[in-house]
Amino acid sequence: MRYNRWFTPWVLVIPALTWLLVFNLWPSINTVILSFTNARPIGGGHFVGLKNFETLLHDEQLRWALLNSVIYMVVCLPFLTVLPLLLAVLVEKKLPGITFFRTAFYTPVVASAVVVALIWQWILDDRGLVNGLAEKLGVISGPLPFLSDQWLLLLSAISLTIWKGLGYYMIIYLAALGNVGRELHEAAAVDGAGPFRRFVHITIPGVRGTMILISILISVSALRVFSELFILSGGKGGPGGRDSSVVMLIQQYSQGFEGNLGYASALSIVLFFVTVVPMLVLARLNRRGAEA
Amino acid sequence: MRRRRLAPVAALAAAALTLAGCGLGSDDSGSGGAKPTVDANAKVTGEVSFQTWALKPKFTSYVEGVIKAFEAKYPGTHVTWLDQPGDGYDKKVLSQASAGQLPDVTNLPPDFALPLAKQNMLLDVAAADPKLNDEYVEGGVQAYQYQGMSGTFGYPWYLNTDIDYWNATKFAAAGLDVKNPPKTFDELLAAAKVMHDKTGGKEYLMSRLPGIGDFTNAGIKILSDDGKKFTFNTPEAAALLDKYRDAYKAGYMPRDILTNEYLGNSKLFTQNKVAWTTGGGNAIQDFQKDNPSLKGKVVPSPALDTPPLYVQGLSVSAKTKNQAAAIALARFVTNAENQAAFAKIVNIFPSTKASAQDPYFSKSDGTPESDAKVLAFQSLAKAKNLQPPVISGATNDFIGQQISLAISGKISSQAALDAAVAKANQLLTQ
Repeated sequence: MRYNRWFTPWVLVIPALTWLLVFNLWPSINTVILSFTNARPIGGGHFVGLKNFETLLHDEQLRWALLNSVIYMVVCLPFLTVLPLLLAVLVEKKLPGITFFRTAFYTPVVASAVVVALIWQWILDDRGLVNGLAEKLGVISGPLPFLSDQWLLLLSAISLTIWKGLGYYMIIYLAALGNVGRELHEAAAVDGAGPFRRFVHITIPGVRGTMILISILISVSALRVFSELFILSGGKGGPGGRDSSVVMLIQQYSQGFEGNLGYASALSIVLFFVTVVPMLVLARLNRRGAEA
Repeated sequence: MRRRRLAPVAALAAAALTLAGCGLGSDDSGSGGAKPTVDANAKVTGEVSFQTWALKPKFTSYVEGVIKAFEAKYPGTHVTWLDQPGDGYDKKVLSQASAGQLPDVTNLPPDFALPLAKQNMLLDVAAADPKLNDEYVEGGVQAYQYQGMSGTFGYPWYLNTDIDYWNATKFAAAGLDVKNPPKTFDELLAAAKVMHDKTGGKEYLMSRLPGIGDFTNAGIKILSDDGKKFTFNTPEAAALLDKYRDAYKAGYMPRDILTNEYLGNSKLFTQNKVAWTTGGGNAIQDFQKDNPSLKGKVVPSPALDTPPLYVQGLSVSAKTKNQAAAIALARFVTNAENQAAFAKIVNIFPSTKASAQDPYFSKSDGTPESDAKVLAFQSLAKAKNLQPPVISGATNDFIGQQISLAISGKISSQAALDAAVAKANQLLTQ
């Protein structure tokens, strides 16, 4: 009786392969092809060569969106890589009532992004909680335009992303911290190393791989940000659309009966390359670090 | 060996490339629309499908009653009723149209019907029904006639418009007379200044950015006659934006309106944060239901300038296999009798000329709710489509973004309008 027939591996991978082909490969190829057309949701379209990409070069909103994405990534990356690690180290300790803090830190993750953004909108508006408190305390003389100034709106969205992401990455770090040998900490403590030195020389190297993974996840999600900016800017990307992200532009161009699928596909390709570059850089850094 | 390995890859690539390009196809948009092959006297029988937008479960018995009456009037007919949820209706219709499965009779507002008519997916119902222009109000019929195309691509079903609502308490606090509210935009600006100055900047009257409708009201031409170019970047439009920018800078409007979605105006009114909003004839009931403290404080008045006309209609699919029954059903559902019955269970207004004399719509019982309904009904007589249906969602967004940039004072009004027109033209021709 033979169990290892040649097709057995294929049978096992066919479900995953089918999924990959239908929902990943085919849409990807379709997007590339559509980016060279002026296709609409109904009525089709024609090949227009590189016209969509030429338009991209002169699209002022895309320039703002790319700048926003880069700022988003640059600000989110250090905060969301380091702060959740510190939180994880804090809540890892077995102290009475620590479960409450673990749950509290994780709560923003399970809350819907839309609900959270709406609450933040209420907190940050001209007569919202933050401005009201600050004015009462005499810190500011007039309300700060968190939701109507281009840069403050971006900063508000970034703060929201960081606040919402802390708990998620904290959980990943908690799992990684469990793999850092307790005996290393004990040995270092015996040798006279304080908590800070143990954190720098034992904890950080111990979770280095996880930090790289988290950095990649943060970079990708920061570059693909949508909900926070969309909700806080009332779905319009702020004055002049200058607080749009690339995903918001894709949504804007592809919406409705007259959606411009060709241009939206060209934007998707730009987003793909913008997302892949930092991913490759971080992966390379990881490899170099591992070899060293 | 190498060839054997390459073969499946090549086959896969070929299959992928064949499958890809989904969304491409014949771009056979026409200018004449699809013409019916039957006339109004054709025999009505057989199956026909009918799609409505979010009428279940609130109006199930009404719609079922109309369908039953239709089937009784035309023995041998059978209507299959589909009702789609309110959210995502455009996406549903889009997927039906893309798959060639549009129901025989579909509820489509004019801006949904336009792209379908361009692709010859809707019948020119006026070609089969010469009485259309005589029986339905002009604005309703015109809503389904598009620049650069010949034909009428839907029966107007029901209409609505906006009137103004004022907060009497806030008016009194500012020393303004709510019984004599602003009647023009300039009076509105003057009242906004009074409200700001008298309350130390704590109360707002206005909370709305201008849009295409305001340009139309100011007599600015939005679109060229052939419908191929936007033309609203005029000095008059810039002057209008300048007035809004100055009012915004002076603090007469909440600063966050630059990022508020369209409904922000009525939301703020409901939250008792601003003293003016626009809304349909039944909006007063919603304000008072959502915020009972507003009861007795909301005063309606006719809209400033020309009120907008909102139209819902029934279009007939060009692919219907039963044109006679589909046209008859669309006409039956939208006839004066059925529309009047519908308008009495929900606050909408009939699009039939015969309903104009119905005292139910034209006489108030003296309550603010009834006053609002009568005002809205009277406003319909001069209401117009203020925004051309060719302005798609994306175009509207880009125009709104440039307007908010101008109001924020970051760029001049003229520069914002030029940028908006350039982008709108690009989206129109792409």
